[in-house]
Amino acid sequence: MQFLLNAPRHLFFTGKGGVGKTSIACATAVQLADQGKRVLLVSTDPASNVGQVLNQAIGNQIVAIDSVPGLSALEIDPQGAAQQYRDRIVGPVRGVLPDKVVRDIEEQLSGACTTEIAAFDEFTQLLTDAALVRDFDHIVFDTAPTGHTIRLLQLPGAWSGFIEHNPEGASCLGPLAGLEKQRAQYHDAVAALADPARTRLVLVARAQRSSLAEAARTQAELAAIGFQRQHLVINGLMPETEGQIDPLAHALANREAAALAQLPPALAHLPTDRLSLKADNLVGLSALRRLFAMDESMATTQEVNKAMPPLPKLAGLLNGLAADGHGLIMVMGKGGVGKTTLAAAIAVALAERGLLVHLTTSDPAAHLADMVAGTLDNLAVSRIDPKAETERYRQEVLASKGRHLDEAGRAMLAEDLRSPCTEEIAVFQAFSRVIREAGRRFVVMDTAPTGHTLMLLDATGAYDREIRKKMAGGGLHFTTPMMQLQDSRQTKVLIATLAETTPVLEAANLQADLRRAGIEPWAWVVNQSLAAAKPTSPLLQQRAANEQAQLAAVASQHASRYAVVPLQVQEPVGLERLRQLTQP
Amino acid sequence: MPSIQIFDPALCCSSGVCGTDVDQALLTFAADLDWLKRQGGQVERFNLAQQPLVFAQQAAVKQFLERSGQEGLPLILVDGEIALAGRYPRRAELARWAGISSLAVQVQPATGSCSGPGCC
Repeated sequence: MQFLLNAPRHLFFTGKGGVGKTSIACATAVQLADQGKRVLLVSTDPASNVGQVLNQAIGNQIVAIDSVPGLSALEIDPQGAAQQYRDRIVGPVRGVLPDKVVRDIEEQLSGACTTEIAAFDEFTQLLTDAALVRDFDHIVFDTAPTGHTIRLLQLPGAWSGFIEHNPEGASCLGPLAGLEKQRAQYHDAVAALADPARTRLVLVARAQRSSLAEAARTQAELAAIGFQRQHLVINGLMPETEGQIDPLAHALANREAAALAQLPPALAHLPTDRLSLKADNLVGLSALRRLFAMDESMATTQEVNKAMPPLPKLAGLLNGLAADGHGLIMVMGKGGVGKTTLAAAIAVALAERGLLVHLTTSDPAAHLADMVAGTLDNLAVSRIDPKAETERYRQEVLASKGRHLDEAGRAMLAEDLRSPCTEEIAVFQAFSRVIREAGRRFVVMDTAPTGHTLMLLDATGAYDREIRKKMAGGGLHFTTPMMQLQDSRQTKVLIATLAETTPVLEAANLQADLRRAGIEPWAWVVNQSLAAAKPTSPLLQQRAANEQAQLAAVASQHASRYAVVPLQVQEPVGLERLRQLTQP
Repeated sequence: MPSIQIFDPALCCSSGVCGTDVDQALLTFAADLDWLKRQGGQVERFNLAQQPLVFAQQAAVKQFLERSGQEGLPLILVDGEIALAGRYPRRAELARWAGISSLAVQVQPATGSCSGPGCC
């Protein structure tokens, strides 16, 4: 493994949920510890399952892993970190200031922004607090999925610069204002990240076009903020031998080869390792130690139960979705589960029933949506581009609200509009413009990754309260975006996931978050299922059998109704192949 | 020079750009404060969401919160005494409290609704 050679002090693994970075980070930590190094494994993933993989409960304190000498682990729980941050600020005034005032402060500190920053603050400590980490030779970070990672890592660069240029600190740092005294620490964290002698970043991807494109975007964004030394790991490659037995395995191997042949140029020059698909889920030490073994024995010892129960199809959800003739359909879930594909397939199926449909996507890699644009008369396709929306919003605010300010005031406003919140607000505004159409036709949306999505909803909530305040007493009839999202006749939320442990856990967390916001998901869709694809290769059959536990959990614990979409022999792009996803 | 203290309600950020709609009053006031500081005025600003302890430690502010609640904010103290509540001061008011000549206000007329000494 090239990424393990001369490993520097900090190793970061990044990639979308489901690519296997937790397993690879764990296996790396175990391997380094087996070599006699003292290793700290850190998970900052909101859906961390490091404890599950290592068979030991881990929390927000560093604990030694009993079964691996030299290995310690730590889970940074973003929600817990945010609660600690709130307690630090609110604790001293509880019982001193009026209760209602204390509740208002807590509400203000309950946004996604606070969570993000509180988690980042702990992460910074690990990079800069010498006393905390002096007992370790290596710190291995299993970071959160890409969008979140970038946010975490971009903040120190942007904010160190920002703090330098605003010595008075009077400006918009949001919840970071409370942490401003630690600016030297942020500066050190940036320096540690940008120093190739101390830090190596390992991009983890599957050999799929969208996964590689996502890795290329991450590569560029991280390189731009100083993360120069990067490695690439391509995980889960189909072993050649399987393709000789099974047409599905053969097609998958071909798809992988085609994706790798068109490797984005930014990735082509990176030192690259390839790992083959394994039959079992990588839970437990012996499985972790075998992960980097080149000659994985294919012999599946367990008897595979070939009698799979029948699985409900996506077509079965269409009547329910189409019933009202219009409405908002939101496909939500983590990046990499195929939200854009599912949204496009549903939009096409509804349009082919003669219904008016608007498919809108905020996925930056929306080539798929482009391919159905203009193919059906009653199907409109549009995109919310976060960068363009943000720039438009900035210009709009400067032109309207900045009009009356003097030059210094305008400069300050322009600076404030560079704060991380601006993009969330800009995207939210574009989002609320689109969902208003759902009273007349179908609006089908794939939303951006979960954290971002929840920030949108968070903003929707604040907006909702603001409108209520303004309208109160006026006696006017009004509908806010939040009311629209909470009404199941107007809005149907589909939770998209994969039949694997981490994605199902992440989807369940997303559902819990939505319920807190008063939104009840209408159905779950399990995408890219091997069990539904009925493979014949022993390796794929074993993996299909491994899906059963998760499929059962979706059916019995999580979803009131659900559908399973089989893994497709060909990549589902273009009208014809999208139709196959909703075949009865 | 008199010291001015501003006690804001719970804000994400003091310039107001973080809201779902940018608040013109906050924006104008942020620019006015910046102007005042450049004139050498002494101003401190506290955000209820970030420094609630400061609110609890000043008797005048704590009593105000008990009587009027968060809705009564912002509260402005000049040398520890209540000077204004319920709205943000205009540039000319800030200048008067800080003892800065109103001439300076006329030289740099820039605030939103108030562009001359007559209107304030």
